[in-house]
Amino acid sequence: MSLTFIGGIHPRENKNAKDKPIELLPPPESIRLSMSQHIGVHCTPTVAVGDHVYKYQCIGKITSGLGVPVHSSISGTVKEITKSVTPDNVEKQTVIIENDGQNTPDPSVRGFDGPLSELSAAQIIERVRDAGISGMGGATFPSYAKINSAAGKVKHLIINCCECEPYICANYRLMIEDPDAVINGAKLLMKALGLRRCDIAIEDNKKEAIRLFTKKLSGNQMFTVRKMKTKYPQGDERQLIFAIYNVMIPQGKLPADVGCVIFNTETTAAVFRAVAYGIPLCERIVTVDGDCVKEPKNILCPIGAPLSDLVDFCGGLVKPPKKIIFGGPMMGQAQWDIRSPVSKGTSAALLLSASATTEYEHRSACIRCGKCVGVCPMHLMPTYLASFSRTYNFDMCEKFGVMSCVECGSCTYVCPGRVPIVQLIRSAKVRIKENRAKKS
Amino acid sequence: MKKHPLPDSTAEFDKMLTVSPNPHIRSRETTPSLMLCVIIALLPAAVWGVYQFGLRALMIMIVSIVSCVCAEALSALVLKLKFSINDLSAVVTGLLLALNLPVSVPLWMPAVGGVFAIVIVKQLFGGIGKNFLNPALCARVFLFSWAGEMTYFTTPKTALPLFSSDIDAVSTATPLASLNAGALPGIPIIDLFIGKQPGCIGEVSALLLLAGGLFLIIRKVISVRIPLAFIGTVFALTYFFPLGDQDVHYAVASVFSGALFLGAFFMATDYTTSPCTPIGQIIYGVGCGALTVLIRYFGGYPEGVSFAILIMNLFVWFIDKYTKPTPFGHVKPEKPKKPKKAKGGEAE
Repeated sequence: MSLTFIGGIHPRENKNAKDKPIELLPPPESIRLSMSQHIGVHCTPTVAVGDHVYKYQCIGKITSGLGVPVHSSISGTVKEITKSVTPDNVEKQTVIIENDGQNTPDPSVRGFDGPLSELSAAQIIERVRDAGISGMGGATFPSYAKINSAAGKVKHLIINCCECEPYICANYRLMIEDPDAVINGAKLLMKALGLRRCDIAIEDNKKEAIRLFTKKLSGNQMFTVRKMKTKYPQGDERQLIFAIYNVMIPQGKLPADVGCVIFNTETTAAVFRAVAYGIPLCERIVTVDGDCVKEPKNILCPIGAPLSDLVDFCGGLVKPPKKIIFGGPMMGQAQWDIRSPVSKGTSAALLLSASATTEYEHRSACIRCGKCVGVCPMHLMPTYLASFSRTYNFDMCEKFGVMSCVECGSCTYVCPGRVPIVQLIRSAKVRIKENRAKKS
Repeated sequence: MKKHPLPDSTAEFDKMLTVSPNPHIRSRETTPSLMLCVIIALLPAAVWGVYQFGLRALMIMIVSIVSCVCAEALSALVLKLKFSINDLSAVVTGLLLALNLPVSVPLWMPAVGGVFAIVIVKQLFGGIGKNFLNPALCARVFLFSWAGEMTYFTTPKTALPLFSSDIDAVSTATPLASLNAGALPGIPIIDLFIGKQPGCIGEVSALLLLAGGLFLIIRKVISVRIPLAFIGTVFALTYFFPLGDQDVHYAVASVFSGALFLGAFFMATDYTTSPCTPIGQIIYGVGCGALTVLIRYFGGYPEGVSFAILIMNLFVWFIDKYTKPTPFGHVKPEKPKKPKKAKGGEAE
């Protein structure tokens, strides 16, 4: 039996790149590195225009506060340091580096000499921080901070290999092509957290990955492979913990408050590479898919590479896209530029035509079918929340639990009246937060 | 070098892109597709109605549907509402209204009823999704102002004129009349189930209504909760408290008589006027069933389904409010629990 939660949806999986091995992107002519690809304070550039940088060289540092450094993913010359609007639609400082084609690695990058078991927890955390690792599933929370806040407090480590969004298969390819990196990364995380056990949660549509991990880990007392039902949002931390341990995270609390900590598959592999080889996070796997792309692919690409290079590598466009999305179609962010750079949290780039993507309609009307109530993984009543929000009745929104909403969009996906439910809920949440701030 | 057809100016390319908040995909189910499912589910019962009661039944359906659709279009214009004919909801209302009328009614009655259902009950409250009473049922109850015509049931297979309201056929009692007198109807139960008794056009065949209802349940258009709770309650009440000294046959006959199946599968499950929480739907179904039996037993008119549903419609907001599910991870006063032993086993 696969483990799961109550509610949720099952959109068409569309994982067209599922059987495509990971390919390496040809070196881009230039890259654009945003100084903030994570949650927290922005980095300060440590290079100036005209400087030569090595591959893996740190080019942006955190002076104080929460955050991780940024590293160059190519060797070359700093061409420009400018303010530009990044994929998450906020103006940030951006370093543009021109490729010299040499791919010279930073000579100071060195792996750990000696067996990894000799590393202390503090050493692992330090290496994870210096490697600039933040959550690669899309949330981009700095990983070292997550380990620090969870160490000593949690009992369960979960490696999240659910990948419940349609189209994306970057994690799946990583799992079957480099399972050892994931397993070793998990071992390092266990060491850093002081844990002896780890759950690997894989959705049951990734049969090959489940088979491989079960085989590799058979007889290993530390690991448990958990088969999860293929359903969106199975990868959401609240639903994942509920499905495995039958525990609900109280509203406003974090997984660590119920003794759990969750890491994404690719983050885990990045932890291994950073700790063992000293390689910072400056490459990631991106699934390029969508009906406008000639050949969907999983591409290992330098962070900062423009999407147009990835699209070229996939054979170009077969029709003009209506929407370009970084991330999955349920949670991803729409882009306005095909040259948008890949960042640490970009798990997929989707180029969808008008027929593959649907907008809400201005003529939408709720028919009170209650389908949203059935699919809400947070057990809310989205139909009422939307109509209260529409009439600015924020008190009722709060009474109906609007602040519990995780904005997964399941209600909006399923709505036959095409009501922009999650958008209305979001605006209610913003207003309520504003009002609370005003009061205090 | 560049293989994709990228226009020279970025601005031109970017004009083609839509930037909007997630989610970027939707399910293919839309309001019209759901309404179409309901129409398809009603068709077997409607065809049976025409087969049993003659072409006049078809005429009533046409008049009712045309009246509803025209009323919707005109009222949308006058009231400046969204133009909503293409969502097919007016067609569903018209069809349901026709199926709820006896075949002998004069043709102006479905026309007037259709206008009443759409304009007064639905559009004046803001259009689709805003009405709090079921439009077709409300119109039917409104038409009871002409009680004589509305309770004039002819025997099936009686030849009736297509247009004229000059009916000279003899009115006959429906099975409910004898049931409410504490006696089993003269018609065998199997004929009640197939639909050979007198009654409204679309309500007679429990079998075909059940087939349509199951189609809707399988297509996940409706959930099984309301119909099951509704019919189950009627069966339980008539089984445990039959009128007269009757056995289980009485309960079975009660369930297959009158408008119960049409009401339970197609009227009580109307999205807009039924609760959307799972527990609420069960409460609503039980309430409909209990009121139906009460009205049948103690009311002046033999059938209670329409009235029961309309009364329960008025409770929908309160049912929803008090059966609101507890949000995931709702903060209770006591401290959060620590994870227990993991459930489930290892993967295969």
